[in-house]
Amino acid sequence: MLEMSGIRKVYRTDLVETHALEGLSLTVDDGEFVSVMGPSGSGKTTFLNIAGLLDVFDGGTYRLDGKDVSRLSDGEMSGIRNRNVGFIFQSFNLIPDLDVFDNVDVPLRYRGLPAAERKRRIEKAVGMIGLTSRLHHLPSQLSGGQQQRVAIARVLAAEPKLILADEPTGNLDSLMAREIMDLLDEINRQGTTIVMVTHSPECAARASREIHLLDGKVVDVERPPAIAEAR
Amino acid sequence: MLSYNTKIAIKSLRRHPLLAAVIIAGIALGIWASTTFTTVRHMFARDPLPGRSERLYFIRMDNWDPARPYESNGASGLKIPPQLTYRDSMELIRSSIPVRQTAAFISNVVVFPDRRVSRPFASPARLCFSDFFPMFEVPFHYGHGWDKRADANAEQVAVIDDATNQKLFGGANSVGKHIRLGDRDFTIVGVLAPWRPFIRMYDMFGNFTAEPEPIYIPFNLTPKMQLRSFGNTDGWKSAGSTYEDFLASEVDFIQFWVELRTPADVAAYHRFLDDYVRQQKKSGRFQRPLLNDVRSLRDMITEYGIVRPQLTAMAVMSVLFLVICSMNLTGLLLGKFLARAPEVSVRRALGARRIDIFMQHVIECELVGIAGGVIGMLLSIGTLRFIGKLIANSVHFSLDLEMIGAAVFLSLIAGLLAGVYPAWRVCTVQPAVQLKG
Repeated sequence: MLEMSGIRKVYRTDLVETHALEGLSLTVDDGEFVSVMGPSGSGKTTFLNIAGLLDVFDGGTYRLDGKDVSRLSDGEMSGIRNRNVGFIFQSFNLIPDLDVFDNVDVPLRYRGLPAAERKRRIEKAVGMIGLTSRLHHLPSQLSGGQQQRVAIARVLAAEPKLILADEPTGNLDSLMAREIMDLLDEINRQGTTIVMVTHSPECAARASREIHLLDGKVVDVERPPAIAEAR
Repeated sequence: MLSYNTKIAIKSLRRHPLLAAVIIAGIALGIWASTTFTTVRHMFARDPLPGRSERLYFIRMDNWDPARPYESNGASGLKIPPQLTYRDSMELIRSSIPVRQTAAFISNVVVFPDRRVSRPFASPARLCFSDFFPMFEVPFHYGHGWDKRADANAEQVAVIDDATNQKLFGGANSVGKHIRLGDRDFTIVGVLAPWRPFIRMYDMFGNFTAEPEPIYIPFNLTPKMQLRSFGNTDGWKSAGSTYEDFLASEVDFIQFWVELRTPADVAAYHRFLDDYVRQQKKSGRFQRPLLNDVRSLRDMITEYGIVRPQLTAMAVMSVLFLVICSMNLTGLLLGKFLARAPEVSVRRALGARRIDIFMQHVIECELVGIAGGVIGMLLSIGTLRFIGKLIANSVHFSLDLEMIGAAVFLSLIAGLLAGVYPAWRVCTVQPAVQLKG
């Protein structure tokens, strides 16, 4: 699904150059659930932005779903983000003016799906996260956990091959965090590849593989014992 | 995506109604000024008789003083009197080259209505030939103009305007009824529909925004009724003491119009005039160098400076004012759009292309432009009515379809001018920077 080799990313200002990724190499197979951990500044978010084609890189090669994405136009990258990649953010990133229905609708609109198909997908996705009764509520009328579930519904409706989650439980209490992780587990069981950046060892332990980053490089890859035994 | 982007734009405008109102008011102000002044210019510049003004020609001949040329007041600087003498008019009217032709001048008559209706009153009257009415597309409510026989026989027939018909006959069909003008009874053959051409194109030498005359009678009644001109009269030589002397004099007071279909007809008519003047020279008239002018109505409007340079300057300034209004709004829109960078980043992450984001914001600008345009146009309609009263009472300045189209176009341009840079800036926002946190 995701093959990165020698990825480098440098942030430049007038005064200083910051090497966020220095030769990062990583492969994630189809259907895997991978967690990415590391201290602040280790390059986790930069890795996720590059993986989701939200940012460009300065060196190395990156193949996403078998396609070299090193030199794509804005339109091509947007198309891949829309069809193949789903994002779940720590701060939910729902659009405050739009109700649940319209928030879930956003990626489907940019895909140009017909109205009936969009409606079917939205109702199904919102049903899966158990918020059908809140379909026409604004984000401000929902709890944090509910907002994150709506963000997950937005991903589910788009049916991507890869989900990139950036600390999806970071703003939630432990009970809600568990609910969200259960949902991600369920989505992964249905075959969707998930790459999740997290600071939480408990959440990381739910993944089939943990990757540790330090100073922009992969320093360690481990399979949690329970998962390893089960597989 | 258009309906989706429009829906998002409306939501965005509702989110900050005060800011939206300020931006809309800015564009409305610019549209108000530009629409008002460009409309005033347009009203003067537009063709008074579309499809016909290129076929109507005004005739001039230089019968002026051999010792000094006529002092021109036209933009062309052509030193030629604008009107003709009675005797020349009566000769020219014999030509068979024009499909229609009329000599005309304005006089004054005393109307003696039924005593129960009104006291006698003086009224301007136009003496003209029957072709005058179709040539200048004069609209009739009842009846029609008189015929060629009435021209030839100088019959006592009259056409009255709607206001006179209201005053004398209560607005009823007065065709066939009689009206006493001076010491003669006239049979009414036609009643005009309300008619207020923006410029009095058949007589532009005095107040060209004046109203048309209330009464029209055959030109050939001139000698019988011994009528004199109440309009502009030019002369360089004594007109004599008797009325007959006046008609035979070199006094210019008659406007002469012909309708010519083809350039060949125009050339033929010009030759006809030249031949006529050469003939007259033999009898001692027209002692200045040969100078005859056959000029279309359209060109006459240009020559007589109906569209004053000040009007053009005001129109240009008002459009520049709109541009300045729009540019000033750029800052407000930039702030508004950049405040939305996090939402834009989410949309980009979910698959929106840069062009999608750009179009979303341009549509918002265009909605603002259209809203401002509508308000500006409404303000402009009110102002135009006021200006109409200032310039000439009863002249009706209004937005025609052409100007409404222009105002809508200007509104869209204003919206685009104000918003294209902010829309471009927001679509180049780096989503990765905004989404963390």
